[in-house]
Amino acid sequence: MPSRIETKRVACLWVALLGLMITSAATAVTPEPVDGTAQPAGELMIDNFDPETGKRIIPNERCLTCHGDEEHRTDVRDDGSPVEIFVHSEQIEASVHGSQKCTSCHVTIDRVPHRKAPSVIVGCIECHRETWKEHKDDPDGKHERLEVVNEQIASYMQSVHARPNELDQSRTNATCYDCHAGHNVGELGSIQRAEHRLQNPEICGHCHEKELEDYRTSDHGKAVMEERDSEAAVCSDCHTTHEIASPETDKAKLQITKNCGDCHQEAQRTYFKSYHGQVHRLGYTDAAKCHDCHGGHLVKSEDDPTSEIHASNRLQNCRNCHEDANENFLSFWPHGDAHDRENYPGLWAFRVFMEILVFAVMAFFWVHVLLWLYRELMDRIQGKGFVEDLSQPDVVYFRRFPLVWRWIHFLFAIATMTLILTGTTLLFSHTAWAKAVVEFLGGIRMEGIIHRTAAVIWLGIFFTHLAIATTNIWRKRKTFEWFGSTSLVPNMKDFRDLRDMFKWFLGRGPRPQFSQWTYWQKFDYWAPFWGATVIGLSGLILFMPDKTSLILPGWTFNIANLVHAEEALLAAIFLNSVHFFNVHFRPERFPMSTAIFTGVIPIDEFKHDHRLQYERLLETGELEKHLVHRPSRRLSLAASFITTVLIMAGLTLLTLVLFGLVTLPS
Amino acid sequence: MEKMKNNDTLHKSARHVLLVMLAVLPAAVSAGPSGQAMAFTCAGCHGTDGSSVGPSMPAIAGMDPEVFVDAMKAYRQDERNSSIMNRIAKAYTDEQLKEMGWFFASQRLQLFPQQYDATLAARGAELHEEYCEKCHENGGRPGDAGTLAGQWMPYLHYTMEDFLDGNRKWPRKMKRKVDAAIEEAGDDAIPALVNFYGSQR
Repeated sequence: MPSRIETKRVACLWVALLGLMITSAATAVTPEPVDGTAQPAGELMIDNFDPETGKRIIPNERCLTCHGDEEHRTDVRDDGSPVEIFVHSEQIEASVHGSQKCTSCHVTIDRVPHRKAPSVIVGCIECHRETWKEHKDDPDGKHERLEVVNEQIASYMQSVHARPNELDQSRTNATCYDCHAGHNVGELGSIQRAEHRLQNPEICGHCHEKELEDYRTSDHGKAVMEERDSEAAVCSDCHTTHEIASPETDKAKLQITKNCGDCHQEAQRTYFKSYHGQVHRLGYTDAAKCHDCHGGHLVKSEDDPTSEIHASNRLQNCRNCHEDANENFLSFWPHGDAHDRENYPGLWAFRVFMEILVFAVMAFFWVHVLLWLYRELMDRIQGKGFVEDLSQPDVVYFRRFPLVWRWIHFLFAIATMTLILTGTTLLFSHTAWAKAVVEFLGGIRMEGIIHRTAAVIWLGIFFTHLAIATTNIWRKRKTFEWFGSTSLVPNMKDFRDLRDMFKWFLGRGPRPQFSQWTYWQKFDYWAPFWGATVIGLSGLILFMPDKTSLILPGWTFNIANLVHAEEALLAAIFLNSVHFFNVHFRPERFPMSTAIFTGVIPIDEFKHDHRLQYERLLETGELEKHLVHRPSRRLSLAASFITTVLIMAGLTLLTLVLFGLVTLPS
Repeated sequence: MEKMKNNDTLHKSARHVLLVMLAVLPAAVSAGPSGQAMAFTCAGCHGTDGSSVGPSMPAIAGMDPEVFVDAMKAYRQDERNSSIMNRIAKAYTDEQLKEMGWFFASQRLQLFPQQYDATLAARGAELHEEYCEKCHENGGRPGDAGTLAGQWMPYLHYTMEDFLDGNRKWPRKMKRKVDAAIEEAGDDAIPALVNFYGSQR
């Protein structure tokens, strides 16, 4: 029984308690307004809370109560110092962030009025990355500009601005809103953009004060800051907007020079034609760059007496690099343009002469090559011409070249190829291959050393050959016939042979018969005499410019540079195409002749190619003296190997040169 | 015998119900009293559901919940001048203060008509607009800067005296603004503002 009583009591207690809770809850929810306030019951009297999350919402209007008050643009910090707090609400609304809430960016602001001095902590990067990730596949393309923004973010992160500040490592050197007016970021082409350009120097100048001071006095600075010309160069045009590197680095120097050309295209074109520009375009900052001569932030026209390129300051300017520079330097044309007849007639004339020479020689010999190829192919089809009987190879050979000539040719070929490779990297500095070659060789200075070493060897061989040839002639001076059948001196027969070859090419006559040297062999022999003169002389001027410039006027360097390059180009193309065809690739010889390395040719080939000499030797009974056994298999293989390597190297060079020529920026 | 059996069954079911209740009760206790339940104890001074009827006791119904929590924490840490609030505030955890804050925020503020000087109130309106409105927005209606509109005038007077006497720490920038208002309106400044707020409905 007691338990029963107990149960009743407990139940009563619970019912009473429940009733109490229900009534009090009911009165709490529906109070009776005694004063008739406007708001309906059940709604919060405060409206700045998210009903779902219970988080405070700070509407932009609330922020603008203080920050949009034009009459009170400044406030006082807790320490008493003044602070600009005004923001243009119209600007924000018109900007790309117009629909954002203030607190979307100013995430640390949680109370208004601010309980603590608010710190401006805004992180742009994450939001832009996330938004792009979310919307990059949207079909409406509304967010596509964010792709560029994200590229710029990536560049910025690599820049010097994104590195920790040396004096305060808790912050970066500069961040997004240091440069972008955070509240006034406009769309591409908008008025905010033009305004932003005009403000660019001032913005950068907040930190880079000295640079701004210099810039203000420059032609660029005057145009932007005084004439309000938003098209004139501002900081970011030269330094880039986001990739900014420290000005001491090669990266920055290369960027800046490249960027000068965005506006000064003509000056950059002529600069790249010069040695300074070629070195620069290969990726090296050793040679003079735009700002080295024109002054970086102080750039002014040459008429301005304070300009670094003004006539009275120019020599001092050259001496920044060329310490011993004398008056001769003043006649150098840093932007000498061989296509500008009016301003550089001398240079123009040399270019025209050299180009006519190159085109004439190449045109003539390529026609010669093509016709010859055509004739030999036609003869083969018709079963005519010289065909080596492979089933019965010659055992008797004719000695054409003594050992010394073979060595001289070998070294000459190696030196020439080295010179072509190292020299054309400058000429075709715009190509990726040139940059790779220079890097492979160990940089521009190492390349200079290699080129000069090869040049010394090349000229050394040339003069050695000259000495040996002169000695030989001197020894035989009593019997030597200058225009005889073994002489390399051109004679009338060569011209007749040339004429008859063309007749043969065209099927209008027999193939002419040649003596010891054919006319094309004589051309190959004499061409380097001309080449050695032109390339050698110009090369000597350029060999030690610091020394030669003390004696020679500056413009000789412009001309030397031009003719050195043009003549080298002629040699590179001629040797690796025409010479290769005449000696190796014409069907009678294909794939190669190793005569210059073995020194001998099969007697049948000698009979065919040098019929007159063969008959003359036969008549005088001297033939036996020149006959030798077939070279050993090992010597033949070695000669084939060397010839193959050189031919391949030559063809590679030809390809690189032709590629460089075709892709040469106009 | 059958009846007895029946009674036994009843007793058993009642016991089961009790057992279940006993099992559930500790869980209910550990959840703690609701904000509303805790707010009941405030009614003695601050009126039913925070609508104060006393002239020197501030109305707290409808107030910003974070302002409520700030005030309670300041009392708890003896950072705000008080008579007994510092002792009361110490009894609550942060979580409980938050719940109480939201309870009062959810209430409608019941205003009681006060006697005010219309001339002073008009002057106070000007001063409020010039010096106070940016923080105490909408004429001092409930918000992140507390509730002034319709607040009991004696309470406002005492509070301003506390500020001016150095008994209560000024919120950031408020001293500058009050000083400027006094500079402009002299001794009338505070009464004018108090009358303005008291006149609010």
